[in-house]
Amino acid sequence: MKTIALPLVAGTVLAFAGLAGAMAPAALAYDGTHCKASGNCWEPKPGFPEKIAGSKYDPKHDPKELAKQGTSMKAAEERNKLRADNFKKTGKWVYDVSKIQ
Amino acid sequence: MKKVVGTSMLMSASCMAIAVALQLGVASSAHANDKLIELSKSKDNWVMPGRNYDSNNYSEDTQINTDNVKQLKHAWSFSTGQLHGHEGAPLVVDGIMYVHTSFPNKTFALDLNDPGHILWQHSPKQDPAARSVACCDLVNRGLAYWPGDGKIPALIIKTQLDGHLVALNAKTGEEYWKVENADIKVGQTETQAPYVVKDIAIVGSSGAELGVRGYTTAYNIKTGEMLWRKYATGPDNEVGIGDDFNSANPHYGQKGLGTATWEGDAWKIGGGTNWGWYAYDPAVNLIYYGSGNPAPWNETMRPGDNKWTMTIMARDADTGQLKFGYQKTPHDEWDFAGVNVMMLSEQKDKDGKARKLLTHPDRNGIVYTLDRENGDLISANKLDDTVNVFKTVDLKTGLPVRDPEYGTRMDHKATEVCPSAMGYHNQGHDSYDPTKQLFFMGINHICMDWEPFMLPYRAGQFFVGATLWMYPGPKGDRQNYLGLGQIKAYNAITGEYKWQHMERFSVWGGTLATAGNLVFYGTLDGFIKARNSDTGELLWKHKLPSGVIGYPMTYEHNGVQYIAIMSGVGGWPGVGLVFDLQDPTAGLGAVGAFKNLQNYTQMGGSVEVFSLDGKNPYDDVNVGEYSKG
Repeated sequence: MKTIALPLVAGTVLAFAGLAGAMAPAALAYDGTHCKASGNCWEPKPGFPEKIAGSKYDPKHDPKELAKQGTSMKAAEERNKLRADNFKKTGKWVYDVSKIQ
Repeated sequence: MKKVVGTSMLMSASCMAIAVALQLGVASSAHANDKLIELSKSKDNWVMPGRNYDSNNYSEDTQINTDNVKQLKHAWSFSTGQLHGHEGAPLVVDGIMYVHTSFPNKTFALDLNDPGHILWQHSPKQDPAARSVACCDLVNRGLAYWPGDGKIPALIIKTQLDGHLVALNAKTGEEYWKVENADIKVGQTETQAPYVVKDIAIVGSSGAELGVRGYTTAYNIKTGEMLWRKYATGPDNEVGIGDDFNSANPHYGQKGLGTATWEGDAWKIGGGTNWGWYAYDPAVNLIYYGSGNPAPWNETMRPGDNKWTMTIMARDADTGQLKFGYQKTPHDEWDFAGVNVMMLSEQKDKDGKARKLLTHPDRNGIVYTLDRENGDLISANKLDDTVNVFKTVDLKTGLPVRDPEYGTRMDHKATEVCPSAMGYHNQGHDSYDPTKQLFFMGINHICMDWEPFMLPYRAGQFFVGATLWMYPGPKGDRQNYLGLGQIKAYNAITGEYKWQHMERFSVWGGTLATAGNLVFYGTLDGFIKARNSDTGELLWKHKLPSGVIGYPMTYEHNGVQYIAIMSGVGGWPGVGLVFDLQDPTAGLGAVGAFKNLQNYTQMGGSVEVFSLDGKNPYDDVNVGEYSKG
């Protein structure tokens, strides 16, 4: 039989929480069945924060990096629209948008 | 004379004539559906992945059957010239076989009267940098076919790893249109087989391992114009969620969750890409597919249920709006990307009620069956009794009941987690025999240890955050790293497995079922096998040049039934072999699990074709001979 490695003892959890900063009340064991609302059932694991911002697990995402996908896709959509519009107009598919009048 | 068509060859003069037709009437009243459905009914054709809109990889052909399958012999083969993994299967339409390849994503058209003659080939010139952002080898899963409308010629729709979606004239191979659907600079790639519904080409993307926010896009096949694009995460209007979303099952969740179940802006890099298979029900005009894993794999970095990653999606084909979405693995902790095959069937449920169903063997070790009209969960059973991440799935709530012992988290190495990140089922396209009510599933039998680590997000760079060690599941041979797969016959209503057998390696590519009472599949160590679909008895096998990660298909030509399969090891399980990697944690953990694969097979892409007694066009020795003029 395997032993459970999670810090299940409440005292351990509280001590861990104290070290790590502001922690939400930790679930004894996250099994995914205790829902705040329909479709919203996540709980922090014992010893882990409800919010990671400001915690040692904060990934500190760079907003500029997070914006890059959206920027790229918007630009590609605009180029594709130019190509499709030109195709409907001329019957010729021109990939290089700089050559589209 | 064969035609070699490169990307630089754009539109021919004939397109001017087409332009007139376009200007006169872009919208034709006739959709491709009827013609595609008609074509798919013929034993001569295999017009889409899955063979038909039910995506059941089932053929009614009985010419090859349990009585004579031992007479199956090699008929002919075709080398694709590409070494990396070949997933998916070729298409056959009106006597022509269309063959795709791994990067650089060549496409070949072969005349089945003389398959040694390449009618045309499309050889795109791609940015080689695409290879560096491919997750798991350089695979591609196949092609789509649009039958034409009398004004516009039949088209082959293909994806390129560098992010392009391309339409080719099916008769000439010339590019008809080419759009940018993904940007490798931000980690997006294309490996998926596109899907044709009506006059729409539908395609997803890959890249969740690089933090790509998943999206699905529809293009007007006639014009290349984007019709809609919907995301897996984010605001409701971008996901395609309206007032009636999940109206039959509000407990699955409804509005606002694409942002509310993420912390901050994490949904912008939250994964949920779809690169697997589609199915379509014309009666309700819904397409079905699964969104993939949230990013990064390190669960501690993304608190929340991470909707709507890991979700069985049912979208209106015309608008992209979601009718329902059922998230199988809320807050994924194991990379159980939910993109696997969706197979449609009509069966009676346990109460005897006739239902239109969708069955989906998921990576998370559960095979789900839903009412495909409203999303009701009908059954959810373990793909193997060794699944331990979940204790069960509550059919009333739809929630999996996790076993916290096998959860993952920072500052902890989880061990003996089953399934592994590869799932007990991955991208293989399985089959369903409606006469037996059996699904034939190729299974991975792999478990893992998992240790997360923190990392920053940088667009276009890998964003995983976990180290994995994979090894055979409890029923395999852990001393020798064998016993990594299974083949099973499953009844979705009773939840019972009629038969099952272990395999040396994963049955990665999927299965083909036929009315000849047979199920065919390929193995990573390079066999194509046939089993009695009633009993599972192994009846026939043939050693192929390389291992298989695609699925078999069948067609008739001039009255002869053929079985075809792509040979060409690679993909995620073959990544150690193809890139000569040694570190067991490399290849996202695959290298260790499949370290013995190299002792059974080597690289090399080809199409291998079989028939009874090896009958083939060259039985007439004059076929294919040179003659002047």
